[in-house]
Amino acid sequence: MSLRVTDIIEAEAPETRDLAIARWCAGRSTAELLRACGELELYRRRQTNLYCRVRALFFLSAIHRYHLPARPDFPRTGRVPYAGFSRVLERRFEEAITGFLRAQEAQGANETLSSALAAAYHALGFQTLADQVRHTVRATRGNAWIFRLGHPQDQPLRVRPELLRAGGGTTPHPVLRERTPVRMDLTHCGWSDIFFLGMDFPEGARVLNVSIDLGLHGRDAGPRPPVEAYFRIIDEPVIRLASVDLEASAEVRELEEVFDFGRDYLGLLKAAIIAAGLVPPGIERSGAKLADLLGVMCGSGRGFELVSNVNRIPKGSRLAVSTNLLGALIGACMRATGQIRTLTGPMEESERRMVAARAILGEWLGGSGGGWQDSGGLWPGIKLIEGVTAQPDDVEYGFSRGRLLPRHTLLGPDRIPAAARERLQESLVLVHGGMAQNVGPILEMVTEKYLLRSEAEWSARHQAVATLDEILRQLAAGEVQALGRSLTANFFGPLQTIIPWVSNLYTERLIQRTQAAFGDDFWGFWMLGGMSGGGMGFIFAPTRRREAQERLQEIMLTAKRELETALPFAMDPVVYDFAINEHGSVAALLTDADALLPAGYYQQSVPRCLRQEARNLTPRERTDLQQFTQAARHQPEFAAVLPTLLDRLLPSATAGSDTGRLDTLLDENGFDRVQHEQIRADLRGGRIGLAMNRLPPTTKIEDVPAESLFDASTAPEDFCRQGEAALRAGEVAVVTYAAGVGSRWTQGAGVVKGLHPFAKFAGRHRNFIDVHLAKTKQMSRAFGTVIPHVFTTSYLTHAPIERFLRETAGDALDRTVWLSPGRSIGLRLVPTVRDLQFAWQETAQQKLDEQKEKMRESVRAALTAWARQTGEAGDYLDNLPSQCLHPVGHWFEIPNLLKNGVLARLLAAQPGLRTLLVHNVDTLGATPDPAMLGWFRAAGATLGWEVMARRVEDHGGGLGRIDGRVRMVEGLALPREEDEFALTYYSTNTCWVDIDRLLALFALQRSDLSDTTKTAAAVRSLAARMPTYVTLKEVKKRWGHGQEDVYPVAQFEKLWGDMTALTECTNAFAVVPRARGQQLKDQAQLDVWQRDGSAAYIETLGDW
Amino acid sequence: MKVRKALITAANPRQRTLPLQMLIDQQGASKSALQIVLEEAAAAGVEEFCVVVCPGDESAYSAASGALRDRVRFVVQRNPGGYGHAVLCGREFINGEAFLHLVGDHLHVANGPTSCARQLVGIAESEDAPVSAVQPTHESLLTAYGTVGGRLVGGERPLYQIETVLEKPTPTVAEQQLLVPGLRAGYYLCFFGMHVLLPEIFDLLTEQGAAASGRPVGLSPALHALAARRRYLAFNVAGRRYDIGAPYGLLFAQLALTLAGRDRDRMLTQLVELLATR
Repeated sequence: MSLRVTDIIEAEAPETRDLAIARWCAGRSTAELLRACGELELYRRRQTNLYCRVRALFFLSAIHRYHLPARPDFPRTGRVPYAGFSRVLERRFEEAITGFLRAQEAQGANETLSSALAAAYHALGFQTLADQVRHTVRATRGNAWIFRLGHPQDQPLRVRPELLRAGGGTTPHPVLRERTPVRMDLTHCGWSDIFFLGMDFPEGARVLNVSIDLGLHGRDAGPRPPVEAYFRIIDEPVIRLASVDLEASAEVRELEEVFDFGRDYLGLLKAAIIAAGLVPPGIERSGAKLADLLGVMCGSGRGFELVSNVNRIPKGSRLAVSTNLLGALIGACMRATGQIRTLTGPMEESERRMVAARAILGEWLGGSGGGWQDSGGLWPGIKLIEGVTAQPDDVEYGFSRGRLLPRHTLLGPDRIPAAARERLQESLVLVHGGMAQNVGPILEMVTEKYLLRSEAEWSARHQAVATLDEILRQLAAGEVQALGRSLTANFFGPLQTIIPWVSNLYTERLIQRTQAAFGDDFWGFWMLGGMSGGGMGFIFAPTRRREAQERLQEIMLTAKRELETALPFAMDPVVYDFAINEHGSVAALLTDADALLPAGYYQQSVPRCLRQEARNLTPRERTDLQQFTQAARHQPEFAAVLPTLLDRLLPSATAGSDTGRLDTLLDENGFDRVQHEQIRADLRGGRIGLAMNRLPPTTKIEDVPAESLFDASTAPEDFCRQGEAALRAGEVAVVTYAAGVGSRWTQGAGVVKGLHPFAKFAGRHRNFIDVHLAKTKQMSRAFGTVIPHVFTTSYLTHAPIERFLRETAGDALDRTVWLSPGRSIGLRLVPTVRDLQFAWQETAQQKLDEQKEKMRESVRAALTAWARQTGEAGDYLDNLPSQCLHPVGHWFEIPNLLKNGVLARLLAAQPGLRTLLVHNVDTLGATPDPAMLGWFRAAGATLGWEVMARRVEDHGGGLGRIDGRVRMVEGLALPREEDEFALTYYSTNTCWVDIDRLLALFALQRSDLSDTTKTAAAVRSLAARMPTYVTLKEVKKRWGHGQEDVYPVAQFEKLWGDMTALTECTNAFAVVPRARGQQLKDQAQLDVWQRDGSAAYIETLGDW
Repeated sequence: MKVRKALITAANPRQRTLPLQMLIDQQGASKSALQIVLEEAAAAGVEEFCVVVCPGDESAYSAASGALRDRVRFVVQRNPGGYGHAVLCGREFINGEAFLHLVGDHLHVANGPTSCARQLVGIAESEDAPVSAVQPTHESLLTAYGTVGGRLVGGERPLYQIETVLEKPTPTVAEQQLLVPGLRAGYYLCFFGMHVLLPEIFDLLTEQGAAASGRPVGLSPALHALAARRRYLAFNVAGRRYDIGAPYGLLFAQLALTLAGRDRDRMLTQLVELLATR
């Protein structure tokens, strides 16, 4: 009897339960797959077991996303009902699925609807998992009461009397200091510390976790527990919060401010206060007064101050600094209120577990998330952390197989002898490579692959689990060289099999160069945490460790300089000094002259005090000044901050240098100041803006039927022959838009997207430009011709791309490979509040889960205040000069070829050139395909446009009949959001151009191209007829030690698709397969792109 | 087991005048709090009483003992060594018998005709085991009481087998160690200020005192140790306790006594009038 799909989920036997869904689908017909979807849908609705439900959801998602679209007979086009799409955005997934299934009944199954179903099932799966973790976190014993408490008088916590002692007058309140190490994961066993995995597969959730002290090599005197939290009582009924590293402080007077995480940089401290129960989550929105709550806890008229310090350890270290800081803050708060028995010294095991559970709660409250091993710094030394099967007494029992909190087994000297620990420390060099990337998508990929039991990944996971025992044995035996080999094998083997994106060119370059520099004395590489590029470990022969620390710094810095335009670096790389911490989190009570906060605290607070009249100082400020003055006399650490402190009292003398650079950049890149002022005035006057981008509401928008389009899959033989002939005759060139920085690709990091080495082809990391050149090379070779390839650039991308091409293309540059530098530039503006509100309220937005939604609301309120305060439609200048400029849209890319003389030079070099294939840098499948070329020639049009069947994730307009004319329409020009869902075809932005007809459209001939004045006038004249769109883009501002903020900024653009609206421009439209038209906009797409066969298809197109 | 002795602690130096406060009892008679406590014990069958007091308080307490004065022995706690130490001071008086232990700053009002102490002594005698009276208490008040964790013994009576005793726990700790199945969420079994104990407790207190090396000795740690050694029960008494040392504690105790007694209507009338004018 054949195995039903639901049998896989229900099976007891591992060989069936762990069967990959892909294996089950192989060989099954479309009808069989659709039948399986029906069964799974019924099954998941009636199933009460959480993980059975979730697994069914992921099976459904995979069948709709990968297996149905792969069937040749599966219909490609359909329509996604807008109502269903809206439900997805509102996170009402069940309703969305019901809507999509109804549409499927009405339209018949098709790829468009399957894409929507896949997205909804996928999101519902993750929502179900996240809800379960949240439920468990709240229900965990010791956590639940804080959700019940709703009135200040019910607050049972009291600050311990030892902290209330004050000698009166200027005697300071005692300070409670919690010092906590960070943790490193010595095994990285396949992200098994993701909560979902630990709770479903506790047997496989095992990590070797080491608490360490840290110092920056060359900066700090030596390693020390990097994380510190300070708690003290103050004689004001407020909560004072300060983060030394983020240089932020706040005085919280209202209860609701405590729950406002996005308002400032103190969200982590607020989450700690809430998670520790000092301001319990149950009291939110109760209307109670903070002073009343503080009065109950601390005594009438009193409050407390909480200060965090991570000793300038950069963000993204992969050492769980923020989770351990949260643990330290919660620990200090819980000790202060008697929830931890001992006020000072280390914690007991039950107390560490309680703090760890509260830290998980705090991370959920703050909208972040870590793994269950991340609070490992609370524990001392080396420990084995393992998932635990839920027992009948556990709140998880019956819901999930494993418990939320793992078991920590301390590995004392009997398991790992002191000598072995010593050997590890003598060989390991810890570094931060400088990259700080969002690992969220990777964690989602891991979870999904686990639930689908994808074959290669599942076997790799078992291999990674087994690696732990090997590593444990090697560590215990002090065999560090063998340990290095195991860790390297783990990185290049199981980890990259599960997620190829954990590695990158930068990391592999570092490994190669270290190998070259140290030969056999380089014992191994070790990736810390979610992905490489940030925190990493290199293991060396002990005799060369010291040398390796210095050399690695050079190697990393050199590699970073080479790749910083291609990969998102947040800071320069650093090398750490580290030592195993054998104490875990330890508290001390500082009294009298020792009652001091960290030196950095005074660096920020003292200048503020000194600016005031002495008589206006509060008693606390007066005491702080006295304490600091006294400390500065005797303690070098405090004396050392005096010069910086004085600097802060004086206005900065260096301001303005960046403004000068910006002006130069603007002048060099043809910035049009008159036009800029006009745009500003229009923006302020409300004549342009997000709302004004839209066509009038009366515009008639209709879909274009398939019969009106050329179907590329049915191209006649003739077209192919004609195309081949044209290619052989050298009549075609390719133009790739490479002027952009891919705002979505790196969330506004400002690197050159075209140069991002995003995936491996033929065994090597390749960037987008590599891929396009490889395709052109293959076509040129196939047709025995030269196909010129032009990359259009902008002020941001030109120099790095030119440098790259000089190195890789050599003398082909300016012969077969060309650069077309941009001749237009804009200066970003601070957005108007009107546009911000339009973007956030009037356009469909993805609703987030409850806590993240609150966080987003709070951030938006802060950004609105920023826009008002900075000045709406004012120039955006508060960033690196290059981040203040913007390219002005791809409409200008082709006209730039006219203006900058590149087309003239191309034609001079290859007079037979007649056609251009123009495409986005991220459209990897675009090639001068002979059949498509033949079609375009036969159509006799000026422009030939490639479109593809829409999927739910395709936004930004499409092909439509607009007031009777078939044309491309931008998403931001559509009067209503739902209009887009009526359009079956989505633009690939790949366009064929007939050079002579295009010149005619500009009222030019080939001979005019040498006349710069005439071409410029022609371009200006046509540009004036093109609509100008105002858009909001996200831009990153980097500061501090690896910190990043994202700001929305306003910019304008003109888009090439609007050429189809010109009546004198003749257009032809063709439907192409997705593999040809797919664009890669987001790095989270990479895994899907690889799994659905797109990557393999691209590999066949290139000559590598 | 026969309970015929009572040990009452009233030696807290910060609350030494509390048991001397005057109230009107259920019958309308004016009495000291101490006298009400003594009469509660007497009604439960207790014949001899011992009150542990601060040095110099004997005569005042004797005067406040009312008609039972002659059956009361006063023992002085020379130095404040904690609640447990105060109990230990009564060891000689108890002299190897089971005894009822009450605190001088708590008054008890039963729901029905059987007094709280009578209910407790009855249970202890029938179960032949030490029993502490408990009352389900909201988690917001936990930090004022000793709290027990355990499980329902079963049967019709609200009787629990005690597994853990913690003094003034935070809800965080209580939720982890003191959850009792069957209670409403957020409620825990807290001491009622009334226990029937065996002389074994004095050995435990002596051990605790030796280990405390000068720090105050509590009763709860000794009771926790007791739970590990033998069958030790908690009984949810049909009544309520009133801590007269808490803010408004004396007032609430007075209201409870009056509303459960002869002058109930008069008190209600007064309260209604007060409410109507405020």
